[in-house]
Amino acid sequence: MDFNYIALALPDLLRGVRMTLVVSALAILISLAIAIVGAFLRSLPFKPLHYLVTGYVEFIRGTPYLVQIFFIFYGFPTIGLTLSVFWSGVMALGIWASAYHIENLRAGLAAVGNGMRDASASLGLKPLHHGLFVVFPIALRAALPSIMNTIVSTIKNSAYLQAIGLIELTYVAVEKISYEFRAVEMFASICVIYLACIFTVSGLGHVLERRLKRPYLGR
Amino acid sequence: MVDAVVEPFLQMNGVGKWFGNLQVLHDVTFSVKKSEKIVVCGPSGSGKSTMIRCINRLEKHQMGQIHVNGIELTDQKKNIDRVRQEVGMVFQNFNLYPHLTILENCTIAPRWVKGIGRKEAEDIALRFLERVRIPEKAHFYPSQLSGGQQQRVAIARSLCMNPKVMLFDEPTSALDPELVREVLETMAQLAADGMTMICVTHEMGFARQVADRVIFMDEGKIVEVASPDEFFDDPKESRTRRFLKQILY
Ligand SMILES: Nc1ncnc2c1ncn2[C@@H]1O[C@H](COP(=O)(O)OP(=O)(O)OP(=O)(O)O)[C@@H](O)[C@H]1O
Ligand SMILES: [Mg+2]
Repeated sequence: MDFNYIALALPDLLRGVRMTLVVSALAILISLAIAIVGAFLRSLPFKPLHYLVTGYVEFIRGTPYLVQIFFIFYGFPTIGLTLSVFWSGVMALGIWASAYHIENLRAGLAAVGNGMRDASASLGLKPLHHGLFVVFPIALRAALPSIMNTIVSTIKNSAYLQAIGLIELTYVAVEKISYEFRAVEMFASICVIYLACIFTVSGLGHVLERRLKRPYLGR
Repeated sequence: MVDAVVEPFLQMNGVGKWFGNLQVLHDVTFSVKKSEKIVVCGPSGSGKSTMIRCINRLEKHQMGQIHVNGIELTDQKKNIDRVRQEVGMVFQNFNLYPHLTILENCTIAPRWVKGIGRKEAEDIALRFLERVRIPEKAHFYPSQLSGGQQQRVAIARSLCMNPKVMLFDEPTSALDPELVREVLETMAQLAADGMTMICVTHEMGFARQVADRVIFMDEGKIVEVASPDEFFDDPKESRTRRFLKQILY
């Protein structure tokens, strides 16, 4: 393994990882926003919305992620929605992750006991306040571990976006290999970089979990 | 000045309720005067919970009328909200908010329903937590308290909304036997302070000591209404006698 070569390649790789992190961060935000809306729509008593959201989840989870990326990048322009490589990537990754987050939130909502609704109703809390101050925080705490899982997968899955030419970490590595032929050095390097990113994120997740858990779950 | 005729504070008139095809309340009629204490008992599935849950519209009745302090419960949201301000409720499983401290449990409704400021809401909460004798737990979470303490917090949380009638749905039946007493004492104290109360409970000692009337329900109907002494010592209905024999061995 040629560490001098890795040192020379590092600036290119860091530009790649910056793109990876920016795309992932935007996708994570978008996916959580879609998921909160989706979970909310699914919780309404209006059945068609329930089926619509469930259909969305099943469609995303039931089709290959790579196909979704191509579909957004090549398919959306035909319906008049032309997105740059960057935004196609953000949307593809965000939409993919949102389906999993909707399921994560569903599990979280199931953890909110029936008694909470009775308590809030008997106290006269409005449904909006009940949702914001009771249901949402309890569901979020219960869903947090699986939400963190999906967030980690989101970062890793940003690597697929090289397929539409997004210059993120894996793209940079693959391209350098194609004319400098240092496959072992490059793949080893990006593995370490991905691991560092993901350890950082899941570390933050654990801190958040501990903060939010406070005493109420354990006894 | 002439006092107004003492209207019943709460009135159920010919109330009927179905879950799907199953009729769980049949022609339930009774009224409660201000400051009166009612104990409701009856076998499992007789409709006790459903009946008191209709009083604050946690369940919707489909027949008859329910009036609370002159407000009729209908589909009108405005009436439901007004009635819920008058009626406090304590549940078998406490139903405290697990992610909020005891103090926050007690202030959330005054702050967001009544728009009371945080400081004032906390003062009110602490006053009621003192009344149920656990002010020192204000900054704990529900899971850090014993069942009896949690139930007393639930009572305080309800009282913070200044209700005119309190409903209790088997408030001690999820408690370990040694914790029942502290909750019953809190309820007896509340009764002594003049609160109007409807308690679903099988605690006979409490019923004898506190109740003005005992209502016995079976299969969704009110079978017998009597004073506690009459009810326990000389029940009129054979179904009541059978029930009492069961719960007293
Ligand atoms: N949400 C519901 N959906 C359908 N049926 C219900 C529902 N809630 C209660 N029931 C039925 O209504 C009847 C009365 O139930 P309810 O809970 O009021 O009885 P209860 O007297 O409180 O009994 P327990 O002593 O067990 O609490 C029972 O047959 C019960 O199965
Ligand atoms: Mg019941």
